[in-house]
Amino acid sequence: MSDCSIRLRVNGRAVERTVPARRSLADLLREDLGLTGTHVGCEHGVCGACTVLVDGRTARSCLLLAVQLEGAEVTTVEGLTPPAGLSALQEAFRECHALQCGFCTPGMLAAAHELLAENATPTRDEIRAAIAGNLCMCTGYVNIVRAIELAAHRLPR
Amino acid sequence: MTRWVGRPLPRKEDGRLLAGRGRYLDDVTRPGQLHAAMLRSPHAHARIVGLDAGEAATVPGVHAVLTGADAMAASRPIRPLIPTPVPLDDWCLAVDRVRYAGEPVAAVAAIDRATAEDALERIRVTYEPLPAVVDPEAALRSDSPLLYPALGTNVLWHDVLTYGDVTGAFARADGVLHERFEIQRYASTPLETFGAIAEHDAGLDAYTFWTNDQRPGLTLAILAESLAVPQSRLRLITPDIGGAFGNKRRPAYLLVCALLARRAGRPVKYVEDRLENLGALMHACNGVMDVELAYRGDGTVLALRVRDVADEGRNLISPTQHNLIKLGNIVNGYRIGAVSYEAYSVLTTKCPSGANRGIGKPFMCFAVERAMTLLARRLGLDPAELRLRNYVRRDEMPYTTPPGAQYDSGDYAATLRRALERFDYDGERRRQADGRASGRLLGIGIATSVEPAGTNLASYELITGRRAASGSAEAAMVRVEPDGGVRAAVGDPACGQGYETVVAQIVADELGLTPGDVHVERGFDSATTPWLYLSGNYSNKFSVTDVGAVLGAARAVRDKLVRIAAHRLEVAADDLELADGAVRVRGVPGPGFTLRELARTAYADVLGLPPGEAPGLEARHAHQNPLARPVGADRTVRSQLVFSNAAHCCLVEIDRRTGVVRILRHVVVHDCGRELNPLIVEGMVHGSTVHGLGAALLEEFRYDASGQLLTATFMDYLKPTALDVPDIEVDRLEHPSPFTPLGAKGVGEGGAIPAPAAVASAVEDALAAFDVTVRSLPITPERVWRWLSA
Repeated sequence: MSDCSIRLRVNGRAVERTVPARRSLADLLREDLGLTGTHVGCEHGVCGACTVLVDGRTARSCLLLAVQLEGAEVTTVEGLTPPAGLSALQEAFRECHALQCGFCTPGMLAAAHELLAENATPTRDEIRAAIAGNLCMCTGYVNIVRAIELAAHRLPR
Repeated sequence: MTRWVGRPLPRKEDGRLLAGRGRYLDDVTRPGQLHAAMLRSPHAHARIVGLDAGEAATVPGVHAVLTGADAMAASRPIRPLIPTPVPLDDWCLAVDRVRYAGEPVAAVAAIDRATAEDALERIRVTYEPLPAVVDPEAALRSDSPLLYPALGTNVLWHDVLTYGDVTGAFARADGVLHERFEIQRYASTPLETFGAIAEHDAGLDAYTFWTNDQRPGLTLAILAESLAVPQSRLRLITPDIGGAFGNKRRPAYLLVCALLARRAGRPVKYVEDRLENLGALMHACNGVMDVELAYRGDGTVLALRVRDVADEGRNLISPTQHNLIKLGNIVNGYRIGAVSYEAYSVLTTKCPSGANRGIGKPFMCFAVERAMTLLARRLGLDPAELRLRNYVRRDEMPYTTPPGAQYDSGDYAATLRRALERFDYDGERRRQADGRASGRLLGIGIATSVEPAGTNLASYELITGRRAASGSAEAAMVRVEPDGGVRAAVGDPACGQGYETVVAQIVADELGLTPGDVHVERGFDSATTPWLYLSGNYSNKFSVTDVGAVLGAARAVRDKLVRIAAHRLEVAADDLELADGAVRVRGVPGPGFTLRELARTAYADVLGLPPGEAPGLEARHAHQNPLARPVGADRTVRSQLVFSNAAHCCLVEIDRRTGVVRILRHVVVHDCGRELNPLIVEGMVHGSTVHGLGAALLEEFRYDASGQLLTATFMDYLKPTALDVPDIEVDRLEHPSPFTPLGAKGVGEGGAIPAPAAVASAVEDALAAFDVTVRSLPITPERVWRWLSA
């Protein structure tokens, strides 16, 4: 199995690694970098649990090979979390009880982050569309939608 | 005195989970850890005539290989939850024969998962295919191919249980409604798949397991027997669990890891991929149910006759579970005086069935609620009115159903009335009429349910004639640490239900603290958590057993704190109270003794203890729910113990061109007694309801005639997304149970039980002009389109 050298930025830090060509981004994050906040739910790009931000846009880290990330800026849930406490979006999730088992949550946060970066006043339908690529088996989505709505209301205007 | 129980408190566990600092099974890494992969059968049914794993062992990076023959030599068979009529050996890997596509036949442990999977390709298995048995009715026939020839049949259980004068009631009836319903295979599919790490200490011959197994008490018993080591040398730890819903159990996989770890001398991790999870872990039984209602002309239902065929797949672990649990809600919320239940539990060459949110109750409720709605149609009654005429009344509580379930509390009619009000039933009916006039296909469905909590394992005596396990119980621990900090643990590993928060609320009230002062252990550790064989996260049991265990332990610690403080203050214990982290004289301002000071006495300055008082401030308590009892001589059984109830009203619209069903509104009114944390309760109602909506419209494990699973990925096995479901509208009544310590009742399964029937009735109502009867699920666009095109 051939190895490849890659350089990228993860959560603002430069990363340089030599990895097998078949290593997925999800495995690079979890196994090589110890960033276990990114979860792997289906490994065929449907469930969205492994969603991270690549250059600010959501991407399935299970469907990307690490070598495709040369020069990219990757942000995971660890990068979306302030050094102390929670972000406004995370706090809204907590207040609205938008998570139960928590396994989908990092991917949901990435999807919500992308939405709010593009649209500061989303409607409920727009919120639902934005998270439709992320499965949650626990909450029935009701409180996730509420939380994203609350976070949007609290955005500085 | 409660200050915290009952509050909608945001959860303690959320901080770490939101920050990506949860610790799930696959986040646990042991030094020297290897990764396992399993070779699985491509055939639904075949003899294994050759298996050569020699080449796999030579692949660089491979440390151990395990075949069925190896497993036979190195372990003992897995003990079933209930014995089969003839003892059948169930090994952790297939031996001689495979009985479902996806059954593991060999396993490899290597330096990483990819290397292990590469090595699987070097294992050569020669199969001699046998005929598959896919349809449960066909599996019942005497000429059916047999999964276990030694058994002489595929039927694991067949019986007819009769309660009351069924024949007489049918003879007296003005009419009989007979319908046949089917349920498909589906599963709650937690987002985190199942997995385990096993580590073997060769010096001690001891094993440690990390796993997201949700029923550790039972699993430890099986592991000890199969590995032939005493339970004292086993340790099982659960980290954060990414959802479970009954699905997360497979002792065989833990055994495979243990045997590989022993061979390799290194820890071995196995985590299912999604294909393995969907095709081979656990499905709810599919099945067929014939329902006959004997009724009077005014709509009073006199008797119910049910013939139920539960398709277990290749389930030797927990067969008959679906049948037995259906007895707990067979009459749903209705005063039906006579019941006959004919049960079949039958093996087929499909994925093993097993526990799934509600276990059997969703199908039982679907059948009875569909039958009630069809009866209303037949009699020209409103479906709500027919139900109101038949409910068990509030003044009849506690009410015992003919098979022996005891409905402890609740007002079923009031629940439905509140739901109709919240739904604006009359208004929606008017809007429906207006919409229909303009060509829209709008439908309204009602379904109501009882939701039992706590399984009484004695009910298996109905089948086996002898009692192995019985009752419903859980254990817990509360400890004031030497520095005055408080720690609690319970033998029930949370799988997303927020126990760290609710247990902290309960303990805080008892010890005069805030929930923030109480550290609740994450998950389960058999070395430190108190536990029973019955321990685990199953059967909706938290409110029925766990709460009592936590309360008992907290109260024992509280009493000891009071005794120590009374001794040191030289006052009577009755004059003391716990508040603000201290024990003080009631009504007298002032500090008294803080928990920290009392802990110093209990652990360090032990000469300050009252005479005869043992040092330490720790209590363990196990609570057994008082309602459980053995099977009666008349074969009545309390298979489940405490009953919540709910009413669902659903509004759907069908797209004429595509057949797509869109749920416009879904109202739930439920009554789970005292709500310990209403925020968490509401979340459970949302989630369980959406599980029911998924089963109603989307989800199906569909097999072809050769036993191949056709819906093995999330591209084919469709889960509800945020675009498929509406905002669930929730309201509540609170009739506390007299039989649980805080009056709480079960809420974990809730919406999953009646939601499928509500949606089915709504679809049928929308298609009233097409004379459709919905007898099975899921209601896919294709089916609707065919109805529309007929």
